[in-house]
Amino acid sequence: MVAPGSLRVVRCGGSALRGARAVFSADSKYLLCASGDFVKVYSVSTEEILRLMGGHADLVTGIQLNPHNHMQLYSSSLDGTIKLWDFMDGILIKTFTVGSKLLALYTLACAEDSVFVVIPKKGERDSYQLVSLKLTKGAGQDLEGKELSVVLDGVSASMKHIAFGREGAYVVSVKDVTLQVYFFKRKLLNRFSLSTMKTKGGDNHFSCVVCHPTEDCIATGHADGKIRLWRNFHHRKEYTYSTLHWHHDIVMDLAFSVEGTRLLSGGVESVLVQWHGESSCQKDFLPRLGSPIECISMSSDGALCCTLHTDNRITIINSNLRFSRSIQGLIKSRDIKTGLVVDPRTKALVLNGEPGHLQFYSLQSDQQLFSLDIVQRQYIHEAGLKQSDLVKVAFSARGTWLATVEESEEVTDPELQLKLWFYHEEAQSFQLNTRINTPHDNHITDMCFRDMDELGDDSLILVTTGRDCVFKVWVMVEDIDPEEHQSVSWSCDFVGSYHNYQATNCCFSEDGSLLAVSFEETVTVWDSLTWDLKCTFCHPPGNIRKICFGRLTCSKYLIGATDYGFLCCWNLLTCALEWSAHLNVVVLQPDPLSEHIAAVSWLSKESSLFVFKPNEPRPIYIQRNLCKEKILLAAFVPRDEPEMISSEKYLWLRKSQLFFLTDTQELMTLSTKSLEERLTPSSKQLAVEESIPVTPFSLLLGKHRHQQAQEDIDLGKPVVHNKQEQASPAVKELLHTPAHVLPSASFLCTIFINSLLISKESKSAEEVADEVEMESEKADDDSDEEDVTATEQEDTGHMELLGEITCKPSKSQEKELRKIRKMDYSWISAF
Amino acid sequence: MAAPPCAFSPRGCRLFASSGPDGRLRVWDTAGSRLQHEYVPSAHLSAACTCLAWAPGGPRQPPSKDGPQRKKRKSEAGEVDKQLDILAIGTAVGSILLYSTVKGELQSKLDGGHDSRVNCVRWHQDSCCLYSCSDDKHIVEWNTQTCKVKCKWKGDNGSVTCLCISPDGKMLLSAGRTIKLWDLETKEVYRHFTGHATSVSSLMFTTVKPMNESKPFDGITGLYFLSGAIHDRLLSVWQIRSDRKEKNAVMSFTVTDEPTFVDLTISEVKEEPVKLAVVCRDGQLHIFEHILNGYCKKPLTSNCTIQIATPGNDGDSTPKPVPILAAAFCTDKQSLLLVYGNTLQPIIEKVSLNTSESHICLVRDIQKVLSLKTDAALTKVKTPVVNLDTKVLVPGIPGHSTAIKTPASGKEKKKNKRKPGETEESIEERLGALDIDVSKVKTPGGLPQTDSFAVLLVQGLESNDAEILNKVLNTRKENIVKNTVARMPIHAVIPLLHELTKRLQGNPYSASVMVRWLKSVFTVHASYLSTLPDLIPQLGMLYQLMESRVKTLQKLSRLHGRLFILVTQVAASQTVQDVPEVNQTAKLVYEDDSSEEEGSDDEMIADKDSDENWDEDEEKDKEEQSDEQDMTVEKEINGDSDLEPENESEEE
Repeated sequence: MVAPGSLRVVRCGGSALRGARAVFSADSKYLLCASGDFVKVYSVSTEEILRLMGGHADLVTGIQLNPHNHMQLYSSSLDGTIKLWDFMDGILIKTFTVGSKLLALYTLACAEDSVFVVIPKKGERDSYQLVSLKLTKGAGQDLEGKELSVVLDGVSASMKHIAFGREGAYVVSVKDVTLQVYFFKRKLLNRFSLSTMKTKGGDNHFSCVVCHPTEDCIATGHADGKIRLWRNFHHRKEYTYSTLHWHHDIVMDLAFSVEGTRLLSGGVESVLVQWHGESSCQKDFLPRLGSPIECISMSSDGALCCTLHTDNRITIINSNLRFSRSIQGLIKSRDIKTGLVVDPRTKALVLNGEPGHLQFYSLQSDQQLFSLDIVQRQYIHEAGLKQSDLVKVAFSARGTWLATVEESEEVTDPELQLKLWFYHEEAQSFQLNTRINTPHDNHITDMCFRDMDELGDDSLILVTTGRDCVFKVWVMVEDIDPEEHQSVSWSCDFVGSYHNYQATNCCFSEDGSLLAVSFEETVTVWDSLTWDLKCTFCHPPGNIRKICFGRLTCSKYLIGATDYGFLCCWNLLTCALEWSAHLNVVVLQPDPLSEHIAAVSWLSKESSLFVFKPNEPRPIYIQRNLCKEKILLAAFVPRDEPEMISSEKYLWLRKSQLFFLTDTQELMTLSTKSLEERLTPSSKQLAVEESIPVTPFSLLLGKHRHQQAQEDIDLGKPVVHNKQEQASPAVKELLHTPAHVLPSASFLCTIFINSLLISKESKSAEEVADEVEMESEKADDDSDEEDVTATEQEDTGHMELLGEITCKPSKSQEKELRKIRKMDYSWISAF
Repeated sequence: MAAPPCAFSPRGCRLFASSGPDGRLRVWDTAGSRLQHEYVPSAHLSAACTCLAWAPGGPRQPPSKDGPQRKKRKSEAGEVDKQLDILAIGTAVGSILLYSTVKGELQSKLDGGHDSRVNCVRWHQDSCCLYSCSDDKHIVEWNTQTCKVKCKWKGDNGSVTCLCISPDGKMLLSAGRTIKLWDLETKEVYRHFTGHATSVSSLMFTTVKPMNESKPFDGITGLYFLSGAIHDRLLSVWQIRSDRKEKNAVMSFTVTDEPTFVDLTISEVKEEPVKLAVVCRDGQLHIFEHILNGYCKKPLTSNCTIQIATPGNDGDSTPKPVPILAAAFCTDKQSLLLVYGNTLQPIIEKVSLNTSESHICLVRDIQKVLSLKTDAALTKVKTPVVNLDTKVLVPGIPGHSTAIKTPASGKEKKKNKRKPGETEESIEERLGALDIDVSKVKTPGGLPQTDSFAVLLVQGLESNDAEILNKVLNTRKENIVKNTVARMPIHAVIPLLHELTKRLQGNPYSASVMVRWLKSVFTVHASYLSTLPDLIPQLGMLYQLMESRVKTLQKLSRLHGRLFILVTQVAASQTVQDVPEVNQTAKLVYEDDSSEEEGSDDEMIADKDSDENWDEDEEKDKEEQSDEQDMTVEKEINGDSDLEPENESEEE
């Protein structure tokens, strides 16, 4: 193995899927969506990621299928490039460098080799323009895209605010309360604006716009929940619009069905509304979608639609408004107060999810396991309403106990609840054991379990620290009351305080004998048996920000980080300061499996990582400029099996993996593997050729269809699927004769089959050519192997040569077809 | 009928594929025990699935494929640590399907190799070869890239039931009734192993390299492998030796029933035992740990047996066994993934291994876990169980926060309890005291009711009879309460206080009654109580309780004050509205002011009243409290709402 050059920061957990509307592939088998800097290809039927296409240096803002080749995809990004991908193989075909930020991307079938992008207007802030960009047909991979021509000025930056009309005849842009329609052929710009004063209560700003696929009709969504359907907008004065109103709050997105007969809308209500025609009375609903709908997109055949939700989820919905699949990413919570906690049982990362929920995210498989509804209250969407949410979470060492603190923010007094959950193995679920109302009179700042092996369950201790200047020790007690079912419950054992200072952090030593609690500037160390104050440490000035004990060989040290940028290490035996370093530490995280401690500092707009052992003041690993964002939280996650790390420098990553969360809610980790190793998909070694020579029926139909398509293409027509009826006169006859005069099905079947049979010479030449091409790709590899087997076969006597059978598909197929002809179809009449 | 075929995905067991009796292939996510997807082969009823094999995922790259193709692949941005997604499915009619679990569609169909039931399929570790064996006595080597038969040869005189590829990939074990080791290059039999009476159902190599490193290793000699046969309760271990003489099994493991699923950990180090998990037809799981070195005549019994049963508390009183369907070791070799329950909806759970106990019975309530849903869940939200009998701690309840006590209070408490016991009066003395009391009461008072109440109360307290206590303590008449408390013996005061404290914690309605009792106890017996040495621990609970109850009073009275101002303002404005009809001059403003003042005056009075009412309820700190309340109200009226929190939480 090659020694890796350096640690790489790798994103995991997937970025927000909300950068752009998702796109279905032409056959509706795959779903493409922008996710951070990547474009992801999902399989619709299995929810699995098929491909992850990376290459953009910044957020991907738009993805569109190449209208001239359905296997290709354009993607635009804030880094100023448009990339053309072959998404089935995940290969980057071309890169067009534009130079300025690209905020949205649109393609049109009629526009020959140009795409439309939204770019910021030069020299003006917060002003954008829609430009058409000519994609030059150069030879190389990297091309310049400089031929820009402005189409519309003063457009909005959101991709939902621009839409192209049927056949690309016009473009619509909305901004605030004005609607602009630009007709390409007539070069005419019509402007319509709504009066802001007209509506009472809500504002009627535009929130999204879509165009009818076949008619001249524009649908706009508004911030007050109304949908307007505009017609006759060719005239400046005589335009008309009708209003559909169901949503009570902003309409986040709209989508027309392929034929334009149905309109889908979604908003914060998490309800997908389907409007039939233009009457507001006919509508269907798909409620309870879980979270607000952000984007809606339809597949090109109209069979599926998908909604992107604010909780980083994609829901795939059938055309008859039945929920079909959902793809869930890491939920980005607004504020992760719980920190990153590792569940010892599932080895999943636990953090805030939806308000009141706790999400369990499996890092090994990079997917969400489940989320646990801790608060169990109805989520009410209302601006300014304070939801009660989880603020602290702690697991006991084996994961049998879970302690959660929920807080509903009130102005004067926080309403606090401490809940202790027991993992009930029988039911395989957490069960509420004890609920404590108002455990502290003010916010709880920290909480920890005594991290001992739970041999005797009574050794379990939970400590909470609060801003009400006390820390409380909770222990398990056996219930004396025989009536109650539970045998144990929790109760307070000790309340400690120190000079009326606010308690900020708490931490148990590895053996559980000592408890360190920091009170503003002072760290106090308590004996966990008698709750005596043993000693205090102080390193003025500045409050203590984080504390932790050393582990294993370094268990006699206590580490603390202060506000004033000091990292201090105290020796518990001598009660003296061992060493201190000037470092603005924001995160201090000990590794549970080794004596290493990771400290992340934040200085001059960059985060740096320091890994050290408490017994020596020199860090064993330093990585400056870890990332540009501020790192808020970190966690060591134990690996399943120790990783083989060749370099001495990275030995601290052997047993556990370090994850961190930045203030932009990105989950990152450090990887020693080189880029190639990580990215080389193991599945690549098995390039199984797709060959499904399935039922004779489908073979026949497939051939028919293929021929039809060929003819259509020759004639220059677009492929329309529903043309099968005029295939043969017999079929036509069969379909057009009234059912009551038809003979029995068993009689008809032979005629039907016969009519579908193709005579020998009709096998088209193109097909043969196709097959040859397919074979030739593999020929290089196979030829050698085949030679080898051939020689082997000569050597060994009892082997059979089988190559010939598969070589002549036409003969065998014919045989099979004849067999079908002779088959007994009397069973059909039973139906 | 044989057990339904099932298989864990390689490298981490992220997925579990199983084919039910209905011919559908289901892929489960092991982490969440959740159905990932379902695939129905087009001929699932006629050509039922007989065996499954996941394509191997692994770090080993095929060395032969370092051509231009590989270069091309490097440039691709691939998925993150996704294992191989191809599942080979052998069917009863002789065809093999290759199914992609990522795409959820059939990738290809291998036809023309077998014309009878496919019994076993195995992937070659390195190359993309697939081996299959069938009832038609043949073994077929497939090229999965071209989907063609690479080689086909007769493997046995009967049907070939099982295959296994050697760790180095150069040899193949096949088994009907006899086990044969084939050289894959020449397709010649290298060794024979005989010993099974029935057809072999499982074959597995247990070591990757021989244990004695003295001899040079040729890739196969010295390795052990394991075999199990149908209707056979013995698993045999064989060793491949350089001499051709020894053909019997090296050792054997006994299990309780026919093995249906076998998984093992391969030991890398000599000292590390091989761990073997065998799932039997009877639904039990046996775990063996053994260091393989040479012969062992006696069949080994399992180190640990795992069974699963339902709890059987409610409804059906007898626990029912839940069959284990499959088991696999996790990558850390310390925990097991268990698949149990119904084949249509199995439950997958990770259990940490503890082989110190020889028999483990896991109790699982599968009814609760199982929910037959046809629709997949929209979100993965789970709701944890919240029972009614959970303990709720609110401020004031013991256990919410402890009394501030001296260290090692537990011991002291016990001492305290003992001390009164030592100094306890004899029964005679007590009786005497009672007599005196009773006589005292009888002579002066002449109130039979209260008298009997005092006696009753003492009796109730001593016998801890809830009925008597309820009867006595629920009286609301002030007089009776006073008299009873006055006449009760001194030694009953502390028990009464404890009883009252207990009752105060409950219903707020009962608390209002108890407060009267408390009040009279404190007024009558204050001198006695102050003499007690352990007053603080005795009354600590009561103190805390009251403190927590009184805590909100300040806020409440503040709210009351504000509401009162509002109400009076409304009333005043109504009176003002009445007035303007009479005269509409600017003087109105002044009148408005004055009326407001009037209102606030009213309010003050009212507040005083309310405080007085409260005084009657609460027995303690009443003077200061009410004074302070008045103060607050006044301050508020003056627009000074910034109050300093009262510091009344000093210790007694």
